[in-house]
Amino acid sequence: MVDLPFFILGFAVLLHVIFVSITIGTGWISASSRLLAYIRGDHELERISKDAFRIMVVFELFSGVWGTIITVILAGFFPALTALATNVLFVPLLIALISIMIRIPSIAAFWYTWGRIGPRAHSAIGMLMAVSGFAIPFGFRTLFSEINSPAAVAQFISSGAANPFAAYASAVFWILYLHTIFASLSVGGFVVAYLMSREGYSRGMKIGYRYGLGFLVLQIPMGIAYWYLLGSSSQYIFETITFGSFMPIFASKLFIVLILLILGILGYTMGKVAFSKYAALLSLLAVLLGETMNDGSRYPFFVIIGKSGIPIGSFANFYIEIPLTAVYVILAFLIMSILVFLIALFYALFRRFLSEPH
Amino acid sequence: MISIDSLLALSAFGVYCHALFVSITLGFPVAIMALLFRYLKTGEEDYFRAAKVMTWVLALNFALGAITGTLVEFGLVQAWPGTILAIASFAFVPLALELLAFANEIAFLVLFIVTLGRIRTSLSIVILALYWIFAVLSGVLITAVNSWLVSPWGTGSVPHALYPFMPEFGENAADVQKLVAIKIIALASGLPLQAVIQNPEVAEKVGIILRDPYAALFDSYAYASALHNISAAVIVGLSIAVFAYALKWHKKRDEGYLKVVKTISPVILIIFLLQPTIFGHLMGEAVVEYNPTKFAMMEGAHETFYNPLISLVAYGDPSRPIVGFDELKRRCEEHGDKKLGDLALAVGLSQETILRTAKDMGVDLDKRKTEEILNLKLREICLSDVSRAEARTTLIHYAYYTKIAFGIIGFVSAICLFAGLSRVPLLSRLVLGIFKERAPVLLSFGILLGSVIPSVLGWYVREVGRKPWTVYGLLYPEELVSVVGYARSAEFALFMGTVIAMIVLFGIFCMYIIATRQRKSEELIRGGGNG
Repeated sequence: MVDLPFFILGFAVLLHVIFVSITIGTGWISASSRLLAYIRGDHELERISKDAFRIMVVFELFSGVWGTIITVILAGFFPALTALATNVLFVPLLIALISIMIRIPSIAAFWYTWGRIGPRAHSAIGMLMAVSGFAIPFGFRTLFSEINSPAAVAQFISSGAANPFAAYASAVFWILYLHTIFASLSVGGFVVAYLMSREGYSRGMKIGYRYGLGFLVLQIPMGIAYWYLLGSSSQYIFETITFGSFMPIFASKLFIVLILLILGILGYTMGKVAFSKYAALLSLLAVLLGETMNDGSRYPFFVIIGKSGIPIGSFANFYIEIPLTAVYVILAFLIMSILVFLIALFYALFRRFLSEPH
Repeated sequence: MISIDSLLALSAFGVYCHALFVSITLGFPVAIMALLFRYLKTGEEDYFRAAKVMTWVLALNFALGAITGTLVEFGLVQAWPGTILAIASFAFVPLALELLAFANEIAFLVLFIVTLGRIRTSLSIVILALYWIFAVLSGVLITAVNSWLVSPWGTGSVPHALYPFMPEFGENAADVQKLVAIKIIALASGLPLQAVIQNPEVAEKVGIILRDPYAALFDSYAYASALHNISAAVIVGLSIAVFAYALKWHKKRDEGYLKVVKTISPVILIIFLLQPTIFGHLMGEAVVEYNPTKFAMMEGAHETFYNPLISLVAYGDPSRPIVGFDELKRRCEEHGDKKLGDLALAVGLSQETILRTAKDMGVDLDKRKTEEILNLKLREICLSDVSRAEARTTLIHYAYYTKIAFGIIGFVSAICLFAGLSRVPLLSRLVLGIFKERAPVLLSFGILLGSVIPSVLGWYVREVGRKPWTVYGLLYPEELVSVVGYARSAEFALFMGTVIAMIVLFGIFCMYIIATRQRKSEELIRGGGNG
């Protein structure tokens, strides 16, 4: 029984990636708006910064929880992969871990020092918060690039040891990482645009659109480069998404990105409030489809090596008979937690409990 | 021999930092619920205001608890990847169930924060109660995992086969042959377990090592630990809150602060009456039954001795002797000249089988080294490990009795604080006569000392007391540690320790700022939640 754990892992990863796209993106918008407010003396940008911050705060903890859930799923369901990763990717995982540790206190510091310390120092704290957000996937994305196209693992298998930074020698990592960051920033922009439009704050909406569109435009060539690179370094994934069972998802993603681009341009130039809701939803859908392709198209392999790979079963847990009752109970309660969180989100964002008093 | 001292110290430091935040996570909601309940009954704003301030502190604390928890969890799989084998078997069910508790914990906390003051107070109490139930469940399940390390339930008489003084750890639910094979392969290769379990297909080749994945949940040691540890954490969290408000009252003499102290003090008293007495006794009984070396360390029993009082508490029989290390060593002698190889053969593992199994698992064993390991005398292994445990006796003994002393201070302070703030015949007058108007601040400080120090030392006794093993009677830390050499260096421990210390200190400072800048917190919520 190796398929169910693979799908549970996929579910947790998708949920985590969607939430962190919002937090990484809004974190940067908050920090950069704060910095620009200081540099340009434009105090209205501080409002954008605060609003983006509020959105980030609501999502931050819940998204982080799913990161921990992924760790436990990996160790519990895929012990060999976890043991291997903690060996050959020790340094990248450590980078991610330290970044998590910096991120949360810096969020608190950013909020509670607002107006209490000089704007330069405050902007620096904001940047620390934003950059630590970028540094987390800088560590964790190595795991994804390694299972797409092993670099550190290959070095380890061939010589019995791997350079601590070997994963960063992979072109797949860098393109995947940049693609991830640009996607997050784009999502953050569209989400901010939508929530600003609900507030009837047109400048905020425009700024949100600017981030959303700008990084979407940067993300597109990264996506093409990534797809092209997979053609030479991870042929199994390339063929599955280009000609195989994941082609409809790939086509849907391309179509959604196109619609998003059009909606973004129209929303930005015409200031159309109605478009922002769809733009935010489509940007999240694009992330969902992209990550589904990246992670799901490897099936039935876990680690891809050229046109083939190491099957999921090679890393799976055979030490126990997985207790299905417990697994289903856990899934039911996890879904309950998502519903409760959505209620909280509704109160926070749509009943405007987290918006600026006017 | 692989050096693991610096990594052990780092892990302990990480766990302590996490424990601080966990205590607040478990204790503050109880105080907030009590305050909201008082607000519901009286309509006095002081209670609601205090509940809001504590909620904001709780929110940041939860975040810090989550990151230090991630650190501990990652620390476990990254620094001690051999534990992945336990996570994938004995600890699988409790850890997996903990996920549902953790996810719901945060979901209900966010819901509570964004709706506090916006919905009926009674509903807020219900939401917070649900959060707390999941937080407690999370604590119980993590304690179950930790308890399995201290009392490896489901391994039956495997530890007893190696150490004749060990008890049976429940019914045997494990495949003994496979467990022994893995242990011998790790010993013979001289490599940590990670070198074995990281190889693809190993799990499939080894197959089922545990027949009952729920075994860890039926550990009586875990039940006692859960009651003891969770109630201790709640007391620590409550004592931080009560001391903070007593100090504020002492400095500003604002009656609003004293109302908070009055609200929390009966709750602390109730838990203090149960924790060290009933729960502590259950924990003590579990230690006596399942951790003979730890009990000998706690009592400083290099030699077996008689003490009717301790024997009555420990065994319920004042005439029984306190078993010391001399007796444990005598039991080791029962092995006679038996070798590890004999034990392996008894479970059907010949040298050839072991070499073949190792090869299947991707580990090349040196034949001579394997022979050496199989020729190890069980008596020597047993005596050596008992001596390693005994070497820690003085530390554990004093740590344990210092813990007891501070526990008594906390216990008495909790009774006196309650008496000082309410009307208990004679006692109230006595307390106020002795401490006068400083009673709240001094007694709440006594409670703080009497909860924090016993918790710190109690955890120390629990963790160091199970050494030289990480999994009691089965696995050493050297077998579970990372294969990554630099991760075991003192420099790495120093670097990570500094990072953790900085983050934790900064986090505590932020919590202080939150507690003292209520308005800034409320800016996050429109209108601040008016109650």
